[in-house]
Amino acid sequence: MSGLKKLTSLISAAALSISVLAVNTSALETYDPYSYDRWGDAVASQAGYTAEKYVDGNTIGCGALNEPADLFISHDELMYIADKGNNRIVITDLDFNFKKEMKEFKYSDSMVKEITIDDNALSDSLEENTIPLEAGDYVLVYDKSSSKFDVLTKTGAKTQAKIEERFVKISGTVGISGGDRIPIYFDGTSPTATGGMSATLAKPTGVYVDQYTGYVYICDTENDRVIKCDTEGNIDRLFGKPTDALYDQSLTYNPSKVLVDKAGNVYVVVKSQTKGAVMFNSQGEFLGFYGANRVEQTAEVLANAFWDLISTAEQRDRSTKQTPIGFSNFDIDDDGFIFTVTDSQETTTDLVKKLNPRGDNILDSLGAADMTFGDIPPAYYSIYAKNSSLTDIDLGPNGELNILDFQHGRIFQYDKECWLLFIVGGKGNQLGLFESATAIESYDNHLYVVDSIKDNITIFTRTIFGEIVTEAANLYNDGLYEESLEPWQNVLKYDGNYRRAYIGIGNALYNKYEYEEAMEYFEISISRDRYNRAFEGYRDLWLKANYMKCIIVIVILVILGFVYKHFRKKGKIVYPWERRRRKGGV
Amino acid sequence: MLDLTKGQFVKHVVTHPFEGFEDLRWKKGGSMRIAFFIVCLLFIQQVAYSRLYGFQYYSDYDKIFNIVPYIFKSFIIFGTWVVANWAMCTLFDGEGTMKNIFINSAYALVPYIAGYLIGTVMSHFLIKDEYVFIQSIEIIGTCWSFILLISGIKAVHQFSFGKTIALMLLTIAAMVAILFLLVLLLTLFQQVIIFILSIYTELSYRFRV
Repeated sequence: MSGLKKLTSLISAAALSISVLAVNTSALETYDPYSYDRWGDAVASQAGYTAEKYVDGNTIGCGALNEPADLFISHDELMYIADKGNNRIVITDLDFNFKKEMKEFKYSDSMVKEITIDDNALSDSLEENTIPLEAGDYVLVYDKSSSKFDVLTKTGAKTQAKIEERFVKISGTVGISGGDRIPIYFDGTSPTATGGMSATLAKPTGVYVDQYTGYVYICDTENDRVIKCDTEGNIDRLFGKPTDALYDQSLTYNPSKVLVDKAGNVYVVVKSQTKGAVMFNSQGEFLGFYGANRVEQTAEVLANAFWDLISTAEQRDRSTKQTPIGFSNFDIDDDGFIFTVTDSQETTTDLVKKLNPRGDNILDSLGAADMTFGDIPPAYYSIYAKNSSLTDIDLGPNGELNILDFQHGRIFQYDKECWLLFIVGGKGNQLGLFESATAIESYDNHLYVVDSIKDNITIFTRTIFGEIVTEAANLYNDGLYEESLEPWQNVLKYDGNYRRAYIGIGNALYNKYEYEEAMEYFEISISRDRYNRAFEGYRDLWLKANYMKCIIVIVILVILGFVYKHFRKKGKIVYPWERRRRKGGV
Repeated sequence: MLDLTKGQFVKHVVTHPFEGFEDLRWKKGGSMRIAFFIVCLLFIQQVAYSRLYGFQYYSDYDKIFNIVPYIFKSFIIFGTWVVANWAMCTLFDGEGTMKNIFINSAYALVPYIAGYLIGTVMSHFLIKDEYVFIQSIEIIGTCWSFILLISGIKAVHQFSFGKTIALMLLTIAAMVAILFLLVLLLTLFQQVIIFILSIYTELSYRFRV
């Protein structure tokens, strides 16, 4: 009964999906849309997004872009493009009409500290100097012995601070006489002795706009600093390499991505740093590292852990250390959770994480920590038998995760429960395909993907199919299972392979106490736990309805059993095989 | 005493783990036909266990169905057990013939097969929380079969208990050796076939020109 029904529903679903496939936009896509089934096998699917057009520097009207590295859409609907090769930030509106570019940055007055240097106070030994300082100040000091300026820093919040550390030495000599007032610019890492009230960028690779304060944060990568400025380019603060002992000074500090949380704490991804994001408070003080990845458990790691147990401390120092792979990009949602992606094809640990303010991965508790993000190898749709390398993550308006795969030029969209929604894009030259996808950003029903080789930005728009799936998934994730029934049924009209729709319909039916139908959908979608629950409900209802019948059947069976035993004892019931034996044998 | 048919002897043996096999031996009540039927049931049980189990329990990849593993798990394993046991018992001066080993081993499997078949049927009526009932039946069936197997091997060779256990362990070792050699043989034959095929291809190309 249910088998036949199931078969007909499957056939009709398949027929529908085929008939719709012929007219759907997917025929227009430059790639084969696919999805994954319960077993991780790739199955043909419908396109959730369609590539509408692309824009390059000339269409924007700002001159050609050169290796754009990052894209950020601010709260006030402006696009910030980190134009790495041209050392600038291009600002446009949502339709890519050029607004302005940020190339020059001005130090604000508060950053310039003027002190009078008494020639007699400058001794030969810098260590003995004391200069009135405030927390976080950088001070340019003239060194008489070498006739050079030294930049000194002191983080202690004392008015009279002993200078302990040299910061950066400046080449070039400047004449100075006692009593001169010297403007002191603190430019973090490369101040010029001749001053100059402006700074420029060198290969900026990250840009972020704080929606609460409106400040722009720019990763000035080759200048080893993060610039915090307003939209006019007035620098408010610089986040240079931490001088704290916790920060290994032998490592380079090339900030590549930056974001800011509600409290104004600044998180900086530094490629050479495997301990996590470098974290500053809003005052620019180094707070520590945030959200390190774990080391993948391999046989080598376990073997080393064993040898560490039996080796001496000296041997341990000399042995190689396992370090995790630092994450490569992140994004923050409105609740303050930071999502990270790790660009690694060798490991599978912690590729995508959702971090709480303490830095714990809470995808663990969602049960999604062991999920595969990106392509599931081997996918027969993929030309390259390589793992995904996840290079950027972006959070959509409904908490969707848009994850960009640099290796295959694909966008993987997951909903907030980490269910795969769509796989979009591919590798190639056509519209909708990428040579070197570096950044993704989403707004409303659009996806924007930056390609650093094609030097353009591709705009994707959600298809009808995409709209329906998103609507259904949002209703489902809000717990409105019954309301999501109709959208899910529409999804099946487009794509009979869409496993999530069967689960959605099943759950809606389950909530309506239509257990038998729910069981069918759960069986098609191969979700055994849900099936188990539906079956439990079905069985309870059946038992309630047929309670009397069951009792009667049991009673009849018991009576029949007694009757059988009685006649068997009397020898009235003899089975054929017993009869044959008695005739032939003995 | 014990005027039982061959069919009734199966029930007698299964329900009397300690003297059942002795009676069977004494009365020559074993039947090759029934024994083979039980081995076929073992095969059916293996297939049923992985394909007909209640949907909420099993989690096998069911897109393809390959019969070979089930044949291996029933016929080949059982056959190897009988051959290895027979081969090993000659070293211990066992009295069993291959036929009797076959019959006793097959009869001993009845509770195991029954337990799992009952479990398979029950899995269609019980939810996951109640799996413990199915599991206990399956475990009881397996243990019972194990006891019967010891008793059966002991009776067929007229061994002491310790000697039986030693023989069974050696039998398992011999099974591993036999299966290893079988795999080796198969790969060798594969090589030979590939060799002959490549010669044929080469010749066919030569003569075509």
